[in-house]
Amino acid sequence: MSEIGHWIWTKTLGENSFTFNLDTIFTMWFAMIVLIVVAFIATRRLSLVPGKFQAVCENILKFFWGTMDTMMPQGARKHVPLVASLFLFILFANLMGQLPLRIIHLQQGELASPTNDINLTAALAIIVLVYYVGAGIKAKKGKFLLHEVSFVGIVMMLVELLEMVTRPLSLAIRLFANVFAGEILVTLMLGACAYFAPLPIMFFEILVAFIQATVFMMLTIAYISSATNESH
Amino acid sequence: METNLALNMAHLGAGLAIGFGAIGAGLGIGFATKGLMDAVSRQPEVAGKAFGFFLLGAALSEACALYAFVVAMQLLGK
Repeated sequence: MSEIGHWIWTKTLGENSFTFNLDTIFTMWFAMIVLIVVAFIATRRLSLVPGKFQAVCENILKFFWGTMDTMMPQGARKHVPLVASLFLFILFANLMGQLPLRIIHLQQGELASPTNDINLTAALAIIVLVYYVGAGIKAKKGKFLLHEVSFVGIVMMLVELLEMVTRPLSLAIRLFANVFAGEILVTLMLGACAYFAPLPIMFFEILVAFIQATVFMMLTIAYISSATNESH
Repeated sequence: METNLALNMAHLGAGLAIGFGAIGAGLGIGFATKGLMDAVSRQPEVAGKAFGFFLLGAALSEACALYAFVVAMQLLGK
């Protein structure tokens, strides 16, 4: 079902064929271009006495610094770029679903939020997995997985190996399912009473967009924190 | 009308999946709300901070129902 409703384009190279969900790619690039342009404008002509726009951007950065400092005991600031990009991208992507982009008709699918495609959320989750494993190996060297050579240490290593599968899976499915369920709910409400019944759900979806971006960010911080800091 | 046992069973399974999944998520959000109410009635000044954590916890437990929703949609899509 998750593939149904996407504008699928298949490219065959030799024996392999690659499938692209074009509507997801368009909306993803739209969200990314908005972010890139805002970041580009915000970092031109920085001044010591910030103007209005610069003050807003500085406060957004301070929000991430504050969140990271409260969640992570030490070395939090160097992980801010990944966490802040993930949060802002997911927030923009989720909120895009509420823009009236659906009036642009495509062959298949519709221009909704790109996070209603599990491929995109899975890619984000894999980025998080690679990042926290890399950060953990960098921080703890050989002790990343095997804290101590004993029975308990080996059991803990097996549990952490299992978590490397379940954590990205749950991250990906949580974000995807929330956005996807919201769209299904709006569609169902549209069938119940057109134009009026979906409105409260759409307001709720705006709240869900913020909450899901926050949840993704918080879990990313928690995973990085558990990988890099000495716990036992 | 021709009956297709596998399709009917898939639809039954979809209904059961989302139903049982919703039980867990409902219980989880209920417990989270109980915790929020306890904390706020004991210390009204932490209401704002506690509400943020409540939303996080509620979103996490709501996700369990959404896993069931994904399974149900996979079954319906057969």
